[in-house]
Amino acid sequence: MSDQATLSVTMLGAGQEVGRSCCVLQYRGRTIVCDTGVHPAYSGMASLPFIDDLDWSTVDCILVTHFHLDHAAALTYITEKTNFKDGKGKVYMTHPTKAVHKFMMQDFARMSSSTSDALFSPIDMEMSLLSIIPVSVHQLIQVCPGVSFTPYHAGHVLGACMYLIDIAGLKILYTGDYSREEDRHLVKAELPPIRPDVLIVESTYGVHSLEDRDTKESRFTNLVHSIIRRGGHVLLPVFALGRAQELLLILDEYWKKHPELHNVPIYYASSLAKKCMAVYQTYIHTMNSNIRTRFAKRDNPFVFKHISNVPATRGWEKKIAEGPPCVVLASPGFMQVGHSRELFELWAPDARNGLVITGYSIEGTLARDIMTEPEEFQGLKGNTIPRKISVDYISFSAHVDYAQNSEFIQAVKAQHVVLVHGEQNTMGRLRAAMQSKYKERDEDVKIHTPRNLETLNLSFRGERVAKAIGT
Amino acid sequence: MASSVFYKWASRKDDSRVTFDGTGITVFDLKREIILANNLVKGNDFDVHIYDPATKQEYKEDAHVIPRSSSIIAKRLPVFRPAKSKIPLYLGNAPGNIPTSDTVVRGTSTWHKGAMSKRFDGKDDQSPMKM
Ligand SMILES: [Zn+2]
Ligand SMILES: [Zn+2]
Repeated sequence: MSDQATLSVTMLGAGQEVGRSCCVLQYRGRTIVCDTGVHPAYSGMASLPFIDDLDWSTVDCILVTHFHLDHAAALTYITEKTNFKDGKGKVYMTHPTKAVHKFMMQDFARMSSSTSDALFSPIDMEMSLLSIIPVSVHQLIQVCPGVSFTPYHAGHVLGACMYLIDIAGLKILYTGDYSREEDRHLVKAELPPIRPDVLIVESTYGVHSLEDRDTKESRFTNLVHSIIRRGGHVLLPVFALGRAQELLLILDEYWKKHPELHNVPIYYASSLAKKCMAVYQTYIHTMNSNIRTRFAKRDNPFVFKHISNVPATRGWEKKIAEGPPCVVLASPGFMQVGHSRELFELWAPDARNGLVITGYSIEGTLARDIMTEPEEFQGLKGNTIPRKISVDYISFSAHVDYAQNSEFIQAVKAQHVVLVHGEQNTMGRLRAAMQSKYKERDEDVKIHTPRNLETLNLSFRGERVAKAIGT
Repeated sequence: MASSVFYKWASRKDDSRVTFDGTGITVFDLKREIILANNLVKGNDFDVHIYDPATKQEYKEDAHVIPRSSSIIAKRLPVFRPAKSKIPLYLGNAPGNIPTSDTVVRGTSTWHKGAMSKRFDGKDDQSPMKM
């Protein structure tokens, strides 16, 4: 039928998995790509989304939701190594995302250049950064005839946004990672004022419920305090940017209230984060009222009073590990390699020490495997290390939980809901729960869970579309 | 003199080549070389497929010989169960096993050794979050 138009949604990554987010929307000859991430559990080419079946020169625009590697780190490869630049495609992200993305990619390139898995050169990275057009939230951007979009706040991390996309009158909301709870520094995700036809939404936590913020924070600070009281070291594996800033705000405040802790150092082991503090300070106006008020009173919340940087000498991990009790925030969050891994191997055999996992851990990483509390694990040198360190999980990962996600999905009122960015089983449970909710109310809402490269075709009747053609 | 076959990842601008002795290379050996050259050795969620650029036909027969100086297109496409990936087959390992050659453990990839390999046995149905 000629008045029918089909939207096709193809996940090149994050289809029934968490990692390498990359979603292709095709409608009436237009092609939009949302997010270009890598899979953090893999390296090199294996970490890329399944990009081989798309002609990148036909892409009208790439919209990146936030600076996390699983949403942004494949961008350089795509703009520099594929034929993307043979076309007219543009790349967009918000101002703070672009500012942090630059540092994230420098760090990413440095980490992978030491291996055989480097996907691109530093020059490729510079070239890619030049092609990014920064945008502001709530700005309406016209990409090309028939395609426009507006970013909305998504919470989650600094600069994170959702995109409300309009392709020839068809409206699609792509959430990226989002949070509906205001935390210490960010605003929560907004409900866009327009009802879209299709909602593409993350499902990281599926039908799980997360604790409310106060419970979670006090459980966290009590745990940290008790590990120190028993004479142990506290290891918090984190990503340099994002939730680490939230944890620092919480710890800094707790230390302020507890003078007996003032001789216990909190180390923050990240040169990357140090570089990015300037970005955080620049974008204070995009944060929540709590932060803005403090800033207005000349109390810069990002100038921490009780956080120290680690000594800039080689082998500091060992020195700190052998020293008195302390708290260390160290990257990477999944502990595959690097500072967090080194400290973990040093501290694992001592029962006084404590590991606190504070973010969502992707399948296939040590941070995930260690949650089963194995009696031993294999060190990077191939040695077997006993695990006596306590292991706790308190999520500060700023994704919606079941209650928040289902409420948001219902409030958006899209006719089609596409679940992405969730593991197969987790996503399946969320779909079942949502379907029974809609069935109870006799509402016809379709919930989809496409796998990678399994194109979902959605047909829409002509009227909605016809009126918008030619705009 | 060494012979070559040129391959291009379907989404890439530039070509790469595989060199060998003789007048041709089998699909099996070519895939193996591509997997090794791109360090795709620990793949368990994809396969490498190769195609004739003119006819777009896939070379499905591992025994098929591709004459030297030919060009082919390569694609990395998902498989949905780790055990189904044929990557280990091309590396001389039983399907589902993790190769243990040196190439596997270099660089940042060491994390998956030893006890960590359990998860490759297939996805478990446990709650992933341990709350
Ligand atoms: Zn994220
Ligand atoms: Zn994510």
